Amino acid sequence: VSVQADAVGGLDAGQRATLTAVAAHLIPEAHGMPSAGDIIGDKRLRFVLEARPDLLEPLRAALRAGLPDDPGARLAALERDEPDVQGALLLVIVGAYYTDKVVRERLRYPGQEAKVLQSWKYPVYLEEGLLDSVLAHGAIWRDPSTGRTAVEERSPLATPTERGA
Amino acid sequence: LATEPTDVLIVGAGASGGVVARRLAEAGFRVVCLEQGDWHDKAEYRGPELDWELTMRKQWSTSPNVRGLPQDYPIDETDAEISPLMYSAVGGSMLIFAGAWPRMLPSDFRVRSLDGIADDWPLDYQELRPYYERTDREFGVSGMGGDPAYPAGGEDPPLPPLPIGAGGLKVARAHVHLGWHWWPEPNSILSVPYDGRRPCVQRGTCQQGCNEGAKASTDLTHWPKAVAAGARLVTGARVRRLETNKAGLVTGATWLDREGLEHFEPARVVVLAANAIGTPRLLLLSASPAHPDGLANSSGLVGRRLMMHPFANVGGLFDEDLESWQGQFGCSIESFQFYETDERRGFLRGAKWGLAPTFGPINAALPSRAGTQVWGADHHLHVRSHLGRGANWGLFGEDLPDAANQVALSPTLTDSSGIPAPEVHYRVSENSRRLLDFHIEMATQSLKEAGAHTVEVDRLMRYSGWHLLGTARMGDDPKTSVLDRWNRAHDVPNLYVVDGSCFVTSAGVNPTSSIVSLALRAADHLVETRSSQRVPA
Repeated sequence: VSVQADAVGGLDAGQRATLTAVAAHLIPEAHGMPSAGDIIGDKRLRFVLEARPDLLEPLRAALRAGLPDDPGARLAALERDEPDVQGALLLVIVGAYYTDKVVRERLRYPGQEAKVLQSWKYPVYLEEGLLDSVLAHGAIWRDPSTGRTAVEERSPLATPTERGA
Repeated sequence: LATEPTDVLIVGAGASGGVVARRLAEAGFRVVCLEQGDWHDKAEYRGPELDWELTMRKQWSTSPNVRGLPQDYPIDETDAEISPLMYSAVGGSMLIFAGAWPRMLPSDFRVRSLDGIADDWPLDYQELRPYYERTDREFGVSGMGGDPAYPAGGEDPPLPPLPIGAGGLKVARAHVHLGWHWWPEPNSILSVPYDGRRPCVQRGTCQQGCNEGAKASTDLTHWPKAVAAGARLVTGARVRRLETNKAGLVTGATWLDREGLEHFEPARVVVLAANAIGTPRLLLLSASPAHPDGLANSSGLVGRRLMMHPFANVGGLFDEDLESWQGQFGCSIESFQFYETDERRGFLRGAKWGLAPTFGPINAALPSRAGTQVWGADHHLHVRSHLGRGANWGLFGEDLPDAANQVALSPTLTDSSGIPAPEVHYRVSENSRRLLDFHIEMATQSLKEAGAHTVEVDRLMRYSGWHLLGTARMGDDPKTSVLDRWNRAHDVPNLYVVDGSCFVTSAGVNPTSSIVSLALRAADHLVETRSSQRVPA
């Protein structure tokens, strides 16, 4: 997936200024987090549009002249008249902001990490007897032969020693 | 391509197609499969990449209408309250499914007898149980035996359970306090190395493809073995129609390649495994003067009784960091506490609950599925309160069959080959609405008991048609069913349907485990009756 090299530059200065203003309006600097208006430069915008080239056209539509200059009024007009275009604008801004390294570090979000499963460990819920409590209530399935909740004998769960934990 | 008829032609290389292909190829059948999608390499999946939450909304959307890829066909869902979801590829929709692997319960096979509505299945739980156990082994299922929601006995899942995570542990403790059922969810996701595949790494991106190959899909679990046994898998092959002879037998399929060139694949037996939208579409497309209402449709039920499991998401937010963007998406824990009918609740049947992870920061920041959006300075507080601090109960309500919920052929919409697209008509029943209302109330109680400070509800999610069922139902009476108890068309003795179309009722659980077990049972029957199988001269 790729977009033309000039795709980001395809937005004129006025459109870029509008994007910055809308981004800052939606996600301002506060609570220790930076403003989206400061974060979303060429690099982040290009990243989003390379991942989602289909967003370029609605982004241009959202930033076009003729809509209110005030960011809040522009967003309200788009939400009312062109919700798909407004949705694309939100996704571009949010996508650009939350894929920024500084933003993710401040959120303490490392991304979707690969972790090593420790399947040999005895689960805490077994140590706490949480399944024993469930088993103590007996079967809960409905027996079609009687139409009533089944009655049956069950073996208790294996102990940690029996499981080799 | 071929001029000599193959023994068995399978349409669709997804879950059920893969199971049948492997079984038949290993039994010595000459098998050909036509698949409109292609193979995917695990490296293509975006889970580890920064753009994961961007591409999941387009290229890796679960909706073919959103993706719009060349191998997809569009679906007219203007008259549907739920959007059908699927993926066209080797492995099929398993590439984007969550991996949850519960079985149907005994009562699910006897809905008419027990509750006086819908229909009974022509088989029961005990008859299907050996096939559940075999498919558990074939796909590599992780779980914990002994669940009191099911009859005792039989084999436990072959692999130890996956972790239930911090959120799962909180909710499990709450259910013990409430005296409610919970159990570690069985998943077709590996907890340990198995059959040459690597175990889960808890990345939490199961529904956009598993980079590890830990989540089962037939491109990993079945097709390599089927091909090694001699099966021929043709990708980029879009089937236009099935052909029949004067004896009423199916003779093969006419299909189009990627360049639009038409071919005919002759076969002695045809097996449809194209899901409960694609299969009735193809049967209706195969209408002829001898079958003016579509193939195998003397009952008039082809395409009817579509069931998609009305779905609600009930999300709890907690003060603690649960790192809930990680973990298997196939669910950590499940509850069948309110699964069986209790008429005092004001509806029949029930729902299974599955506790799932949340997503990453883009999902937390955008307007929620429940419609919540926060912008301005408080946006940061909103994201911090959602990111990694959620636990979501997914509620799958049993969807009762209704002939008015159906798949038809669109008179106007076509796929990129000019073939009429399916048109889906689907309304959520009053029983389903009452069912979901009750279960939402109970799930809310569950999460509050677990300590959630806020519970957010998405009452009836539109993009939740993962489970496509019922459009060519099984049964013993040809007047009221499309297929017999072995998945063979009553009208066409060498035509089988092995996908979710065959379901009589939907149950209230994720259906893939049942779909593949029914498919394996049908394949076994084909093997056992091969000498008496009627085929074209």
